[in-house]
Amino acid sequence: MTPSRKGVVFAIAFGIAYCALYVVCTEVNLPLFTYHPATGDFGLLYQPPGRGPAMYWYGWMLTALVGALALALIATVLPEPWVQRAITFAAAFAVLYLITSTGALAIYDRATMELDFLKDRSWSGIAALAVAAVVTILAPSARMQRIWPGWMWVIPLGAVTVTTYYLTPYFTR
Amino acid sequence: MVFWTTLLILHALLAVTLLGAITHQTVSVWMPVRSTAGSFVGRYRAVPSHSYASAVVVLYLLTFVLGAWIYTHYRYTSRLALEQLRFFKVVGAFEVKEHLAVIGMVMLPAYWCFWRQPLAPDYAAARKQVTLLLAILVWANFLIGHIVNNGRGFGS
Repeated sequence: MTPSRKGVVFAIAFGIAYCALYVVCTEVNLPLFTYHPATGDFGLLYQPPGRGPAMYWYGWMLTALVGALALALIATVLPEPWVQRAITFAAAFAVLYLITSTGALAIYDRATMELDFLKDRSWSGIAALAVAAVVTILAPSARMQRIWPGWMWVIPLGAVTVTTYYLTPYFTR
Repeated sequence: MVFWTTLLILHALLAVTLLGAITHQTVSVWMPVRSTAGSFVGRYRAVPSHSYASAVVVLYLLTFVLGAWIYTHYRYTSRLALEQLRFFKVVGAFEVKEHLAVIGMVMLPAYWCFWRQPLAPDYAAARKQVTLLLAILVWANFLIGHIVNNGRGFGS
């Protein structure tokens, strides 16, 4: 039996939202709970290591799950073009923010004068927001009528790239 | 120790089965055979790709749950030893594995929708691409798991 359109919207929105939230949770360290494997203890939210190491992975997954379920449910009740535009905006913002913040830091490193404002990430965020808004508004309406199923490989691939990139210190020591 | 080793072997066997299923499906959807298959490679490509979808979902979930369980033991035994031995690349590879496993798992609902019968032509491209990415993630995780398991050697 072919799944209903709502089912597909839910599945795609859930996958995309989970990937985005999971990346944020791992980078900012936002676990809903902490597990201490040596003692078998659980703690609410972030807990520092006690007797033995602390594990945040399960907590990150739960945080992302709660957020992604909520966003996916919202996506199923909104008109599909809105959801498609929201995903386009978020994806454009993420890519542009990475480009602008990396570019700003590269310019700061090479500049012959003191350009301290380039270290402030909020400028990159504002620039990325503005350009992402323009991209979303100017996107052809024909492409905004339905959710593009290709998001389901583009966003996870982006999440894989970012999470792997942040682990490079393990491979360069 | 016997308990965790048994779980690890079970996890590896499930991973091998998953690897076989997803590889078979990926090959058959990306390189379908149009005429009667004669050779081994041809027959490998000629399988009905949709028949693997449910098996891939179930095997992925089972492999993931077992891996997540074993991870608790790895975290305060093997990993501490790997860090003391300064095997940082091995530890880092495992960190990559945990992220890949989660991202692969959350692709499963959409993957399953795209493969529901009768196959919707609207999702033909996404079906191929999502299956390929899932196969890459499964392969990467399988190889990383193998490398991490060899970090200190069985029973050391």
